[in-house]
Amino acid sequence: MFRIIAKDFKIFLTDRRAVMLTFFLPIMLISIFAMAFGKEKENNAQPINLLVCDEDHTNATADVITQLDSIKSLRVTMIPLDSGQRMVKTGNESALLVFHKGFKDSMDAGKKIPIELLYDQARAPEVGILQQALMSNLMRIIGTKTIMKREMERADKQFSNLDTSILRNIHKQIEAGFNQSAGDNTGGIGISMTPLIEDKQGNLGLIQAIAGTSVMMLMFGVMAMGASILDEKEKGTLKRLMYAPISTNSLLFGKMITSIMVGVFQLAVMLIYSKIMFGLDLMHNFPALILLVFATAFACSSLGVLLASVARSRQQVQMLSTLIVLSMSAIGGSMIPTFMMPPFMQTLSHLSVNYWSIQGFYDIYWRNLAFTDPDFLMRPLVLIAIGTALTFTSQFFYKRNVLKMT
Amino acid sequence: MINVQHLKKSYGTHPALRGISFSIKQGEFYGLLGPNGAGKTTTISIISTIVKPDEGTVTIDGMDLASDPIACKKIIGVVPQEIALYDNLTAQENLMFWGSLHAVDKPTLKKRIDENLEMMGLSDRRNDKVKDYSGGMKRRVNIAASLLHLPKILFMYEPTVGIDPQSRNLIFEVVEKLHKAGMTIIYTTHYMEEAERLCDRIGIIDNGEIVAQGTLNELRTQSAMKGSINVQFGNFSPEKEALLKTSFNSGSAIIDNKFIYPSDDVKKDLPKLIIKCSELGLEPTHIDIEEVNLETIFLKFTGKKLRD
Repeated sequence: MFRIIAKDFKIFLTDRRAVMLTFFLPIMLISIFAMAFGKEKENNAQPINLLVCDEDHTNATADVITQLDSIKSLRVTMIPLDSGQRMVKTGNESALLVFHKGFKDSMDAGKKIPIELLYDQARAPEVGILQQALMSNLMRIIGTKTIMKREMERADKQFSNLDTSILRNIHKQIEAGFNQSAGDNTGGIGISMTPLIEDKQGNLGLIQAIAGTSVMMLMFGVMAMGASILDEKEKGTLKRLMYAPISTNSLLFGKMITSIMVGVFQLAVMLIYSKIMFGLDLMHNFPALILLVFATAFACSSLGVLLASVARSRQQVQMLSTLIVLSMSAIGGSMIPTFMMPPFMQTLSHLSVNYWSIQGFYDIYWRNLAFTDPDFLMRPLVLIAIGTALTFTSQFFYKRNVLKMT
Repeated sequence: MINVQHLKKSYGTHPALRGISFSIKQGEFYGLLGPNGAGKTTTISIISTIVKPDEGTVTIDGMDLASDPIACKKIIGVVPQEIALYDNLTAQENLMFWGSLHAVDKPTLKKRIDENLEMMGLSDRRNDKVKDYSGGMKRRVNIAASLLHLPKILFMYEPTVGIDPQSRNLIFEVVEKLHKAGMTIIYTTHYMEEAERLCDRIGIIDNGEIVAQGTLNELRTQSAMKGSINVQFGNFSPEKEALLKTSFNSGSAIIDNKFIYPSDDVKKDLPKLIIKCSELGLEPTHIDIEEVNLETIFLKFTGKKLRD
């Protein structure tokens, strides 16, 4: 029995694919999920982006914004209202803080202060963290100022007969006292929360499920399709194809076009299923959907063909494709929505095909962007650019590795 | 029809071809024989356009292979060593696909597929998937797939490996029929009797060089052999094997514990051989004398058996 165990271990350890899938892949996925969901180290915490629009244009708003900007956990960017709203609507930012006109007057009068946080409901977790940070800090800044101002006015009334220099001294003492106890006074300041994009029909989860899963499964499908190049080489049919009076490029592109067509068909089947079972409206923005489906299939197919051109055997393709598809899916938002990830992971997600495709689906079904909207068009264009770059690279490796006959 | 001049090819530091030259006439049946690693595959791969030579020229039917490979491919048919077919397609579907790559119009292609399947004795199995065929049947479809564009030149790479005698005989008949019809055929095989039966001329390649070529009679003359003396020993050992090798000419070989000595004068060499064995302490248990055939000629030129 010992010999059988020893033999099986030896075989297992010499099988690089098995070792990679057993150890490396889970470690990588754990790392990605931990980074997305796990507690970040305090000193590694990235500041949260905060778009701010000042409609009041007073010293009071400038003062509050300066104080917000000085907070380490926030990175403040000033922006006009229209641009800010668009940034949120197109998914580029999660929220916009607006200081409406009358902010100073309301603060002076001790009335409800017009501050509004416009946000994307799809990014609720991110907005939740932002809201929490804003509440505590704004209440500390504005709340203190409002009460301090009220106390000073009360002192002015009560001691109206006193000399102005003495009154100034009283003001200073009140200010010092409030500064000492800053953070304890949070009296009555509220931020009104307004979603710019609302999940009225509970579509958000559906979009994420359909887009995330479809893109991931498409990648698996076309990777296998690309790997058939190596099957052809191993079986000898590739050599026979090379004997035929056709160019070597037509062999590669023929394979790629088949892969794209299978990919488009696969996505179409998944979307039709989603319509039948979950009521996904396919005609909602049909041209945009068609463009996105083709761009996604192209990018994924190119990746599959590149992998087949670089790898030496089908086993290697299987190992690499599992690794690449799962890691791209994990960082690109197929498994976890990217807005739930920390900022550096969100940046990293841009490297995956999944990200651009899933964001395209969000643009169509969540953000309701038009086909001609540059923010939407960017997604398929990036996918096409990725596909083109990978195709050129595949062509190089295909000639160097696959077509090399000895 | 084919003219190969000073062909050289190296893989890394290993020279696969060292400047071979040969010509094949139109309608000729040319056998290219050589032990494994001799350069046969490289030669055929170059002539059939899938490998580029480092040096040298190849002209096919007057066309320069380097400058117009696509035109050359149009008149070439290659029967690969592997069964290069799609298992999940039927014979008919496979042939339709492979024929279509040569731009044969559909009605003509269908007609040729019918003819080829008939010739290969597979008409009644045309709609069965290739994966359900026997090895011999697959080989026959493999050949048929190379004939659909009516090539002027046919390369056949060991077309009878691992098949039953019935399929083998059928393939011989087909190949002979194609030859009679005027097709130029370049044939590689590890079976001497095939080369002897089919080939008009034979080229023997070893270590990237053509070491001999001609008709079987010309090769007999070139080898200057009258026969081979085959000796079996009762007390053979690796040390004695080494002694034997150094004691006799380069054409001799030891195969399956049998010492094979190609001789140009058997009457003279046999006593000499027995004396030498006695000097080396070797005890022959069986001696036979074989007539000159392609196997012994091959051995004489390469020092190896064809299946090595």
